[in-house]
Amino acid sequence: MSLETYLDILIFSVIPVFLVAVALYCIRIIKGPTIPDMVLAVDALGFDLAAFMCLLALYFKSAFLIGGAIILALWVYALDIFVAKYYLKRELGD
Amino acid sequence: MFDPNITKFILFIIGSILVVIGAFCDLVASIGFLRFPNFFVRLHAATIGAIGGAVVPLIGVAFLALSADFLGTFRWYVAGASVMTAIFILLAAPTGSHALANAAHRAKVVPVMPKVCDHLEEDRGREGEK
Repeated sequence: MSLETYLDILIFSVIPVFLVAVALYCIRIIKGPTIPDMVLAVDALGFDLAAFMCLLALYFKSAFLIGGAIILALWVYALDIFVAKYYLKRELGD
Repeated sequence: MFDPNITKFILFIIGSILVVIGAFCDLVASIGFLRFPNFFVRLHAATIGAIGGAVVPLIGVAFLALSADFLGTFRWYVAGASVMTAIFILLAAPTGSHALANAAHRAKVVPVMPKVCDHLEEDRGREGEK
């Protein structure tokens, strides 16, 4: 067996674990008691999806998903900073 | 003599071990998000999910892409972008969760429910009286 077959088997066996983790994060996002709980869960979900997209780029052998991973991580960081600034100053500013 | 196939095999083994560790950490973090009682305790699960669940599998993906011969020249692009994303998440995730926790504690939007005593809140109250 070549290395390509091993890579396909590895990624195919890791994908269900990532999907179960995404489902559990979504449960916390939907029923989170306060807003910071939801934002924290969206945070972890976004970083998780960035890693998952890089795995999918290896699986589908296409280069376009990698740029999406970087931009997704940037947006999740921006969401954190915006919510923190809103709670401190009660406004988003400029 | 030196055999390039051995190098690729070693890179593949290291990368697959890192990816499996990342998937395990992700599952543990999502279970912790469901089971922990409190926002400030859930920060611990968020850190596991960001560092163990995103940075470690991204570096593993970089190793896997370096070992994958069938991808052609595009494997260097995948490896470099994965390492870039991993370094960015390593810097951004603790900063973001610390800013969020600081703001939530200062604005008192999250109740500190099972608590014995909160010295930070007492100190801030004393500063406010002055």
